[in-house]
Amino acid sequence: MTRVRPLTLVRSFWRGLFLQAGWNRRGMQNLGFAYAMLPALRDLYSGDDAARQQALARHLGFFNCHPYMAAAILGGAIHHEERVARGEEPPAAPLLYKQTLQGPLAAIGDGFFWTALRPFFGALAAAGALAFGWPAVVVALTIYNTIHFALRIGMFRAGYLQGDAIVGAIARLSLPVAADRLRLGAAALCGVAAAIAVLVGALTGGRVPAILAALGAVLGFAALARGARLLPAAYAAILLGAGAAFAAARLGWSP
Amino acid sequence: MGSYLALAGLAGLAAVERKGFLQAMLSRPVALGPIAGLALGDAAGGLLVGAPLELLWLGSVNLGAALPVHEALGTCAVAGGAILAGRALGTGATPATAALALLVAAPLALVGRRLDRLVETDVNERLADRAERLCSAGAIAAAVRTNLAGLALPFGIAALLAPLGAAAARFVVPPVLRALPGLERPLEAGWIAFTAFAAAAGAKALRAKGAPAVFLSAFAATAVAGATLLFWRLEVRP
Repeated sequence: MTRVRPLTLVRSFWRGLFLQAGWNRRGMQNLGFAYAMLPALRDLYSGDDAARQQALARHLGFFNCHPYMAAAILGGAIHHEERVARGEEPPAAPLLYKQTLQGPLAAIGDGFFWTALRPFFGALAAAGALAFGWPAVVVALTIYNTIHFALRIGMFRAGYLQGDAIVGAIARLSLPVAADRLRLGAAALCGVAAAIAVLVGALTGGRVPAILAALGAVLGFAALARGARLLPAAYAAILLGAGAAFAAARLGWSP
Repeated sequence: MGSYLALAGLAGLAAVERKGFLQAMLSRPVALGPIAGLALGDAAGGLLVGAPLELLWLGSVNLGAALPVHEALGTCAVAGGAILAGRALGTGATPATAALALLVAAPLALVGRRLDRLVETDVNERLADRAERLCSAGAIAAAVRTNLAGLALPFGIAALLAPLGAAAARFVVPPVLRALPGLERPLEAGWIAFTAFAAAAGAKALRAKGAPAVFLSAFAATAVAGATLLFWRLEVRP
């Protein structure tokens, strides 16, 4: 067989969701990539154990990419393996494809998904939860995963159908530009969340918690910008906040 | 005992979801907090903890070989501790139990990162060696299945540590609040201050040019708009 069956593509995509299960320092996602490739290699080399073993060994080499973006490389690697099985390419072609794309796509994926899209929806869910409760979390996660799965499935499909042309398709998405906007949007949502904390403080405890929340936001940001460590600073926010509220109550500074 | 088992299973699954399988934000604090709360019978208490922890650990991302704190383990331990302490006090999770549970159990997020590193360097490299040996021997199905074996330790570590952290909070927090009932209100203020601090930490973690100005502007605008609205409502409907 020189083409992978549609159901096999689905199985490979599903297995690609386990890309980082056996993440290790030496080969990084090599185990996960080989795990995802095996159904396709079984189709392509069904009567030739030695060729199948050789093909799998190719994919046990070093591989590291962003887990969502890796879907594009997984689809593209299957595309190239089909060509190898048809004798149209040398066996090194899928490896070259992986080696060429993994670094750039990792950088795009980390920059867009991990440091922009996910923080944006995390901040949206958190600010929404503070204001409206759990329905905001459900809405934010539903939108995030609609985008996430649409891109992950779309890139796998594009990688499989287009092979090397996937680079142009991903470039057209302009993900770095969108990432910059999402980061600023997330910063704004964090500001909204801090303000909600001030308002909740005012509503539940009066002016003392409201002032402490405002100080927590402004002084906390300043302390972190000057290099304060996150967890000790969080402890300080709780303990200083509680201590100040305790002192205010003792001094008779009522709400 | 059932609550601790539920928390163990949930923490284990979250540890798997955050890296080994899927990564659909289900193990992020804002989702995991309420889910843990639901499992322990106090979804609102879980959300009370989960939303600020999401902001606190907004920058907790796995970039290449750099490992973030184990926010899923930390969330399960803190949320579980706050809820179980609240249950022992008969109040449910409150800002005071959440604040004290965080002080007791949050360092587990750092412990989790250290153990993650150990698993990925020592244990999983042996799995990779094993996979290569099996592949050379022609056992290719067994070779690729070693990938799934990498899920076991992250599951087990979180399943063990999260209930331990929650149990520590459960046994420390109620005696403190019973002995010092005057601490309840100050701790509530401390939790609100922490929530605002966590939002600032989230903005700081974004490392975007212009983020400080955007954060402070949005903060000021929302606070002024909210305060105006509250004042107006109090004036109109005293």
